[in-house]
Formats: sequence, structure tokens, C-alpha cells
Amino acid sequence: MWPHRRFEENPCPSSRPNALYSNLHSSEPMAGFHPHHPPEDCINCEHRHLRMFCNLTPEALADYDGIGIMMSHARGAKLFSEGDAARNVFVICYGQVKISSTSRDGKTMILKIAGPGDVMGLSAVLANVPHEVTAEAIEPCQVKTVRKQEFVDFLGRHGIASMHAAKSLSGEYLTVFHDAKRLALSGSAAGRLARLLLDWGRQAANGKPEIRFTMALTHEEIANMAGTSRETVTRLLNQFRRDQWITIKGSSLTITKPDQLERLTA
Amino acid sequence: MQREARLRRMEAVSAHPVAELLECPPAVELLLNASARCIGLDAGDAVFRQSSACQGLYLVLSGQFLRRTERLQVRLTLAPARAGDLVELAAALGDGQHTYTLTAQTAGSVLMLPIEALNQAFQGYPPLRMNLLRELAREVSRAYNSCCLSRAASHRHASSAA
Repeated sequence: MWPHRRFEENPCPSSRPNALYSNLHSSEPMAGFHPHHPPEDCINCEHRHLRMFCNLTPEALADYDGIGIMMSHARGAKLFSEGDAARNVFVICYGQVKISSTSRDGKTMILKIAGPGDVMGLSAVLANVPHEVTAEAIEPCQVKTVRKQEFVDFLGRHGIASMHAAKSLSGEYLTVFHDAKRLALSGSAAGRLARLLLDWGRQAANGKPEIRFTMALTHEEIANMAGTSRETVTRLLNQFRRDQWITIKGSSLTITKPDQLERLTA
Repeated sequence: MQREARLRRMEAVSAHPVAELLECPPAVELLLNASARCIGLDAGDAVFRQSSACQGLYLVLSGQFLRRTERLQVRLTLAPARAGDLVELAAALGDGQHTYTLTAQTAGSVLMLPIEALNQAFQGYPPLRMNLLRELAREVSRAYNSCCLSRAASHRHASSAA
């Protein structure tokens, strides 16, 4: 059993020299992300009500607070790798984590960028199979790490927790589904990139009229998500900017003409 | 070697028999049986449509069905559903919205377990939810595998086009 509220560090020396966009120095934090006030425990976490999984009843929360440990991860640190035995479930408290997998021909494919409140490793733990994906921090992050059996027992004790776990799994399913759909239904690279930008923008905008988000990925990584090359991503982003469909300021990208991008995805 | 590992993984996440998944004590079984609705369909009928609210968990009893997804004018056939398949666990247990359209390819029937009855059953017998959660986790694993295959195909297509 891990000591309660133990904090651990998982430093990683690998910097990201090729990162064209980084939100480390962004003046505007992402929605629900307060880098200067990381939660110390689950009960006193001020962001809990914004999170899908941790927004539990007082009884379940007290139990949840007593399991697992908080771990800080440096940018570039790997939380788990594809093929590793799934021994833990990871819940992101703050920061962003890149979820990727490797194809048979050795290509890295980024499936999604996980953020605060996202649960990682759950499908592998519950299906009792090795991790299907690799999770790597793309910025400093704090993650609650809970051992497999402890997490499964916790779900068994609290209906609300298993309900949230179902929502999380359902979200994971949708991510994979949308990823496959994006690749299959958008014929051109421009269409796939446009779909990706629209998905990220609408997610960050959360119903607000302005579609703006922080791009934490390199062009190479975006290319891996859109199933195209880095050169094509750079060329297309420049083209979208010249056409005034998007504006880019530092790491912040605003979609000014979503209709035009939407048309490309048809 | 890699192919063998992938096959082993696919075997490990294959769908479990529905009798095993829905196994529960007699009282809960009675509740589910009483609320279950059998729906008969002709070829071409839609069981549910993409983005509509999920009414319950569907079990294919007979006939062949197709999962289809669409965006704007483009349609994509995902996979068939046959007798014994549980359909849309993700929507029934999760966000409550259908991710695709299920259409009857031949005349057939499905059994629908309404969400309210399922929730009551979960309260009466929590292991039922865990069984279905584990099945959903296996479905996610299978989806990861299909996604990898379609991505690999997409990369090959992109390379050959270039």
C-alpha cells in the first residue's frame, strides 16, 4: 500500500527542441488549468467540479482521496509505454499528456492529447491486457496514480465511480472512433488538418463564440495525428493563415473562419 | 512475431458471451426480462441513428445489421452486427448518444434493455455494471486495434499516392 498523499517526481531530461509551439510561457492558461495552484489532494482540489471523473459524492471522494499517489511528471516523461503491463490507472490533475501508438511499419500515431480530468490506462486495466498506447507528458503535469486492483476495488465500492469510469471509457472509445472517422472520411490532408483544428478549437471554446486554443504540439506531431507529413502541415497552416481562416499568435491559434475549414472537410 | 502478438491481444479482448455478461441473480434477471423490448425490423430499417439519444442497450437476436457512420455527404460502413452481439455499450453506459447508425441489412430482431432498467439492475447487483464495464474496455481495445490498422492503411495509401 502506498503512503497516503505521497508526492513523487518523474523528471525527464528530454527537452523538446523541435517544439514550434509551447504553452509553457503562455500568458493565458487553458480552461480549468491553474498552473500556480496545483491540487494537493482530491478533497481540497478546487477544480474537482470541472473534472469528469473526480467529481464524486463526498463518501466516494473521501475513499478516492485515500488511494493512489500524486506524481509530478516533467515534460517528455513517459507515464507508460505501449506493450507495458497495465499495473496502474492514471488520472490527470493538471497538464497535458500525448497519447500515441505505433503502427506495424513503425510510424508513431498520436491519437489524442489528454488533459485534466482524463483517465488513462483504464481500458487496459479493465480488459486485463497490456497498454495499447504510450502516454508522454507534453508539459509539466501532475497525475494521480492508482494501482490496478485498488482502482478496480474502488469502482466496485462506489456506483458513481463506476458510472464515471464508464463515461471515461466511452470517451476513450469515441476518441478512437473519431480518429478513425477523421482519417477515413476526410480525403485530403487539408481536410484532415482542418477537422483536427476544428475539433480542438470547439473543445476548447466550450460553446463560446470565439474558437481559440493553445497548440502544444509540434508540426511533426500534428502531422502524425492528421496522417500526413510535417512539411504539408507547415504549408497548410501557412496557407490557412494567408487566407485569414486562422490567426496564430505565439502558441495561441484562433479559427476566424470555421465555415471555410468545415468546407474543406467535406 | 509482431503479428502473433497482435493476434494474441485480439484474442484476449474478444467479446465475451452475452449470457456471461448479463448473468445476475433471479430478482435482477426478472427486472431485466420484464423491461426488455423485442423489436422486429425489415431490411433497411434503422434501429437507431447516429447522434440520437441512446434509449438502452441492444442485443441482436436474429438477422444481420450494419454499423454506419456519416459526416455531411460521406458515409462509412464500420462493421456488421450479428446475433448475440451487444451493441452500443459505450452509449448505454457512457455519454448516452449514439456514435453511429445501426441499420438492418436483412429482416431481423433486436432486444432492447432500457437504460432506466439497466440502472436499477446496477443498483441491485453492482457486479453487473463491472461485467459490462470490462466488456466496454475490451471493445475500446478492439477499437484501438482497428484504428491502428486503418491508420496503417491510410499511411500506405498516402505513400503510394505520393
